[in-house]
Amino acid sequence: MKTRHVAIIAKKEFQGLFSEKTILLAVLLQVFIALFSSFLMVGLTSMYDPSSLSRYSHFRYDVAYAGKESPLLGYLENSPDFRVDRIDLSTAVELLKERRISAVVYAPGTPPGAEDPVTITLYTLTNDLQGAVVDVKMKDVFVKYEQDLRTIRAGRLDVTPVPVQIPPSAGSGDFFEFVYGLLVPLLVFLPGIISAALIIDLITEEYQHETLETLVSTPVTFAEMVWGKVLACEILVPFQAGAWLFLLMANGIAIENPVLILLHVTLASLLLILIGALVALHYRERTAAQFVFSTALVVILLFVLALPYNPLNLVARLSVGMAGVEQWIVLCAVGLTVLALGYSMQKYADRIGLLQSGV
Amino acid sequence: MSAGRDIVTIARWEVKKSFSVMSRNVLPVAIVLFVLLVIVTGFAAQNGLHIQDGMYRIGIDDPQVAALFSSDARFTVYEAGDATLADNRGAYDLVIVKGVVYASTTEKGRSALNTLERDYTQYRNSVYTGENDLFAAYPLWIDTQSVESELNFTATQNGQYVQVAPGQGPPVPQGTVKNVPTPSPTLGVTQDELRQELVTSSSQNTQVSRYTDVLSSHESVMGTFVTPDQLSPPLPFDSIILVFVFIFPLYFTSQFFMMSIMNERIERKGEVLLSLPVKTSSIILGKMLPYFLGMLAICAGITLYIRASPLVLLPLIPIIIFFLANALIIGMLARSFKELSFISIFFSTVATSYLFFPSIFANVHVISLISPLTLIVLTIQGTAWTLADYGYSTVLFWLTGAILFYIAARNFNEERLFSEKKFLPRIREFLAGILPQQHPYAALFLLAACSIPFVFMSQMMGLVVFFNLPMPYSLVLLLVVAALIEEMAKAAGIYTLFVRDTAFFSWKHLVCACAATAIGFLVGEKLLLFATLAQITESIFGSVLFLSLGVLWMPLLLHLACILIVACSLKVWGKNGLLPGLAAATVLHCCYNLYFILGWIR
Repeated sequence: MKTRHVAIIAKKEFQGLFSEKTILLAVLLQVFIALFSSFLMVGLTSMYDPSSLSRYSHFRYDVAYAGKESPLLGYLENSPDFRVDRIDLSTAVELLKERRISAVVYAPGTPPGAEDPVTITLYTLTNDLQGAVVDVKMKDVFVKYEQDLRTIRAGRLDVTPVPVQIPPSAGSGDFFEFVYGLLVPLLVFLPGIISAALIIDLITEEYQHETLETLVSTPVTFAEMVWGKVLACEILVPFQAGAWLFLLMANGIAIENPVLILLHVTLASLLLILIGALVALHYRERTAAQFVFSTALVVILLFVLALPYNPLNLVARLSVGMAGVEQWIVLCAVGLTVLALGYSMQKYADRIGLLQSGV
Repeated sequence: MSAGRDIVTIARWEVKKSFSVMSRNVLPVAIVLFVLLVIVTGFAAQNGLHIQDGMYRIGIDDPQVAALFSSDARFTVYEAGDATLADNRGAYDLVIVKGVVYASTTEKGRSALNTLERDYTQYRNSVYTGENDLFAAYPLWIDTQSVESELNFTATQNGQYVQVAPGQGPPVPQGTVKNVPTPSPTLGVTQDELRQELVTSSSQNTQVSRYTDVLSSHESVMGTFVTPDQLSPPLPFDSIILVFVFIFPLYFTSQFFMMSIMNERIERKGEVLLSLPVKTSSIILGKMLPYFLGMLAICAGITLYIRASPLVLLPLIPIIIFFLANALIIGMLARSFKELSFISIFFSTVATSYLFFPSIFANVHVISLISPLTLIVLTIQGTAWTLADYGYSTVLFWLTGAILFYIAARNFNEERLFSEKKFLPRIREFLAGILPQQHPYAALFLLAACSIPFVFMSQMMGLVVFFNLPMPYSLVLLLVVAALIEEMAKAAGIYTLFVRDTAFFSWKHLVCACAATAIGFLVGEKLLLFATLAQITESIFGSVLFLSLGVLWMPLLLHLACILIVACSLKVWGKNGLLPGLAAATVLHCCYNLYFILGWIR
């Protein structure tokens, strides 16, 4: 196999891609999704954690308290989030409908040590962002009250949980897991999936447009041609994945070990590309090949995700600086699979090449 | 009647053809893959998904406490003496010494703390669920009652609060007070029933059930009662499950249609079909019918499976039509397979975002109604929606779908299908295909009017994108983007005609053509607005998008002036004049809108 021939084919494919200019769509798509997700983050963070916007930080919500006296009233009055008024239930609910207050709490006079549980009724607005925020703030108050009641009734408990004292959370940590544990790994692996779909297009196109004979009549062998196409698709991966990392970082998401991430992504993507190439060589027709490949992809992804230390998990670990030696073991395993698949593709392509030149 | 028979015949051919291609090699593999999929799904469900493993480092001095958190794969737990831990605090995200948690002050530390808190709550609940006296373990129950209030577009934006002036004493209601019955002080559930419920709800894997709950309308015995721990707002990304369940299969199936169209074009295979003595619309409808029915069947199957109301299908039909229309156009436009892949991936992402992102705000904000997916969310929840809501969220899908079909039918001929031109010239040719030579003005008028649904759709997209930005920026960006989109839509017809027949554009013809476009645009805009979009137009965002609704002659002048700028620029500088002309027209359009909005706000 001559490297020069492989390079020629790869170059030809690149020229094809760039002359069509549709690769621009892929770039546009990246920018589009990046814009979207960052806008979404800003919007949702402020929506679910209103205190993150400074002008809400000392905001007190008006709530009404109805019913009998209970320790809950004291908690509400002491809470920095609420301003409490004692109003009778019917009036309070009407005020809530008029959006003049943001919640109504009704407490019956159940004694704290009673056989039965204490039931509190909480009225909030449906279909309302503010209702969701008030729910979160109310939860803190209710949890305190629940702990009190449990302490009073502690004599009736058989087992008590191992005590762990957790400081009040500063909020806003919830997007960390979503970003690093889902968004980053999925986005950097997206180019690999796109490239694998691309190799199917490139190979089946030669069959369906019947341009194969022209290609094979040149000094380039069939296997060299396939490898050239694989190379073209593979080269795209680090560039696109790098663009993702760059866009994410530009959006204020700090990512550690970008080079190692690219290394893992590039190698794992080669695996996908080789699978795509094998499927395309087998079916020689785009509809069937893409169908089988995308179904197989779902199976493979699901299987891989269920394994500990899978490449996606490694990307998540690397991006938060938590990967150890195990990453090299995984890299080796992926590399060995790539070698095995590459070898079988070489054999397969050779066989097809022989048949082709024989005809 | 014969058209109907033609359609059925062609539909039968299509089914036969695709099955003969598929069944030979693919069917056995597909069956194997399907079996594998079932096995792997079971494996994954048992093993869990390991994507977030080992994200946090946690140091604990007590093995009993360490045992609580080592089962969560997100934590890498280190056990050490408290002195060692205190020395290396920086190396851990969390440290638990003598039963007290210390978190590092980074974003990661906070996130780890949140995760730890959820884990601990889960553990504590599992202990309490085993208690004999459940009412001692769960002494407090919250009855959550929701009260309807008039939705107010501006009030709920960004969780804003309608502030009452901090006066003295409690506020007094303005309306009449209706008597609210005093809630019963008891739970109305026995300890045994409660235990049963707690066992089932804690056995569910919360990571999975969170999503599956979106699909099922599960009724708990507890009714509206929750413990304080369960009192949490709906998570914003939950409706994404609907995208996976309903939209992905549709997208997947429409790929086959796209490919079938593309296959007709390869090596002129479609010539046979074109030579048939049937109308092109029959060919297209016939080829589409099997896929349409297939997609409908898939949706019906899913609906049955999740036991949702069949009403779910109603908002899905326009989505199916929209997908098929786009698949048809993309299949006719793409020059090569890789172009087909790129365009279809691009289209599907944009369409999915358009469907998904507004639906995040279902139950929260009226903006969510621009996506039919919101209607599905509402149906599954059991919330009723009106015919007006349906029209509001689906009309753009119906209209764009219909117009794309028309364009495709007019261009479904040898000349267009087998040409090897570049992408943008091809789009221009497609437009030229529906602009008859004899009546250029009428054609421009109609094209401008028909472009309105597309303009609105792109502007709605802009609205969704910019909605999350803080107020002044979102308005300004929306202003510019909306103006640019409108100018591009208006310029499309003129540009097409200009390239086809430059000589036609004498100054007199140029003015007439611009006038036809401007009037067409205005008429289309008014028609669609009056029909449907009243809800959005009432808001301040609407006033940016649809400002031109007010007086008639003002917007007409604006449209005319803008399109004249583009046309003159084309006439003077030729094809290269398009971009500068568009830019100038956009600036003018923005100035006009700004002037009115500023005046309007003041």
